[in-house]
Amino acid sequence: MKILIIEDEKGLREVMTQSLEKERFVVETASDYPTAIQKINDYDYDCVLLDIMLPGGNGLSILEELKKLRKRESVIIVSAKDSIEDKVTGLDLGADDYLAKPFHLAELHARVKSVIRRKQNDGDIRIDIGNLTVYPDNHTVFIDNNELKLNRKEFDLLYYFVANPDRLINKTTLAESVWGDNIDQADSLDFIYSQVKNLRKKMKQAGAIPEIKAVYGFGYKLVTIPEA
Amino acid sequence: MKLIHYTISKLSVVLIAILSAWACLFYFNILDEILDETDDSLENYKNLIIRQVLTDTSAIDHHNDLMSQYMIKEISEREAIHYRERYFDSTRFYETELEFDPVRVLKTAFRGQDKKFYELTVMISTLEQDDMIEAILQWIIILYLTLLVCILVVTEIVFRRSLAPFYKLLNWLNTFTLGEKNPPLDNPTKIKEFRRLNETIAQMTRRSEEMYSQQKQFIENASHELQTPLAICRNKLELLAERPDCTGEQLQEIADIHRTMGRIVKLNKSLLLLSRIENGQFHEVKEVELNPIIRELLDDFREIYEHKELQIQLEESAACKVRMNESLANTLVTNLLKNAMVHTPPEGEITIRVLANEITFTNSGDGTPLDSTRLFTRFYQADNKKPDSTGLGLAIVQSIANLYGLRITYTHANGKHKFSLKINKL
Repeated sequence: MKILIIEDEKGLREVMTQSLEKERFVVETASDYPTAIQKINDYDYDCVLLDIMLPGGNGLSILEELKKLRKRESVIIVSAKDSIEDKVTGLDLGADDYLAKPFHLAELHARVKSVIRRKQNDGDIRIDIGNLTVYPDNHTVFIDNNELKLNRKEFDLLYYFVANPDRLINKTTLAESVWGDNIDQADSLDFIYSQVKNLRKKMKQAGAIPEIKAVYGFGYKLVTIPEA
Repeated sequence: MKLIHYTISKLSVVLIAILSAWACLFYFNILDEILDETDDSLENYKNLIIRQVLTDTSAIDHHNDLMSQYMIKEISEREAIHYRERYFDSTRFYETELEFDPVRVLKTAFRGQDKKFYELTVMISTLEQDDMIEAILQWIIILYLTLLVCILVVTEIVFRRSLAPFYKLLNWLNTFTLGEKNPPLDNPTKIKEFRRLNETIAQMTRRSEEMYSQQKQFIENASHELQTPLAICRNKLELLAERPDCTGEQLQEIADIHRTMGRIVKLNKSLLLLSRIENGQFHEVKEVELNPIIRELLDDFREIYEHKELQIQLEESAACKVRMNESLANTLVTNLLKNAMVHTPPEGEITIRVLANEITFTNSGDGTPLDSTRLFTRFYQADNKKPDSTGLGLAIVQSIANLYGLRITYTHANGKHKFSLKINKL
């Protein structure tokens, strides 16, 4: 899987690259408009992460260029300008998703995987981890072909782990990703603890092999193949 | 004290003093003049009588009529040598009227043709003079008061007329609010000072408005520019936490920093939102029904309030519709609901009532009312300060309410906090 990161800020470009490479993506980068145009002309990517404000040109015209080239790249706009107008224009021009800075890396992974999956198998999307099968579109989970009943938030929580297998996810990141910015941080730690505990219990009872593990005070990790 | 009253009171004091002095001076001078005039006539009369007596000795007798009277009486030579002519006031009994009337008397001495010395006493009734003096006094008082009143009334009228542009300017300044649409200053005047005042004030307000919008723009730009560095820091921390050589203690530290970063990010987002609202960057407006938004939010927050064991009741008696930006409507309701949820103690109660033109959020609290004057200001936090709260939630609510002419009020009754949002239907 090849990803192109178009981002002028060096620091951000580096962390994004590092983190996505850990997910076993092949990552290339472009730091300005001309480089970006040249790369999308010369190569094919599975996903393009696009910063709108670029030196040398507007990121939105890169979207137009992609359209002109009749490329099927999934595009996620990454913008510091969290404005609805930009979002709407971007999505109208064919972007698949919109991610506002600052974002969590885990959130980035989830979004990237989600758009790539959607583009690969139009329709029947499933993620398999061990004996766990998740259908993101109809919000269903199976363990060894037996359906695991989860409510909406439990599903969102599990999906977040599934999108970031074997990666350490911070507690507050998890809370914010599922319940949005609106969750009060002061209450969130205790709250997320009980939510994850519930989910873990349900998975264990259903005999799931992947396991959500608590990591010190930091957060949780979905361990795909637990040690015996 | 109004300027006009101040001026008139000061003017009155001075005018009363000057006019009184003038009136007194006038009165006493007139009196003096009248006396002089009387003495002159006495003198004339005397000369007339003496001339007549000198030519016709038989006239040495006395004369008496209603107005004047004279008497001639012989005196010794010794008396005559030391005689001094004098004028004085006296009274005389008039038989006809049976009363004493005031008279002016001249006593003098002369030597007749017969070489004898005579004393002449001439009297003139001053009854009419007294009448005249009285009349003069009366008129002086009347004129004095009339003049005073006239001057004050004219001053007041002229003052009001000439200060009209000043009061207009004052009223305009009174209604002037920074950051809102203000009517232009329309205050034409011929007076040079007021024209300058107009220009200076117009210039000053323009400068303030510019500064204000620059300031707002600055906050927006600053918050905006912070987004990327914040993203880098937070993401680097996330990567750092994944390093296998991190000890548990280090992870704990990283988690703390990550949490603090989260606070900065939230604060920054809220500031950005506030400046965007105040810079009028939410253009799209449509009719939004708030009921489904509230229902959806309650569903989204279900796990959170169930975890805190809060009892939330939603009472909908009508559809509440407002013309506003949809995403701001969402923010408005979210912030109010979140505010109620955060500040309700565990196992507390929240009641949401939705009417056609009002939504109220009532929640139980610790019983102490909040400071309603500061509640909606930025960074205000009640005494039980929540360490992770930005203190901007209600400021955002206020800001959105202002934008669409909604009214948000806070009341405290029976130990419960109540926030009500009133929607003015056109």
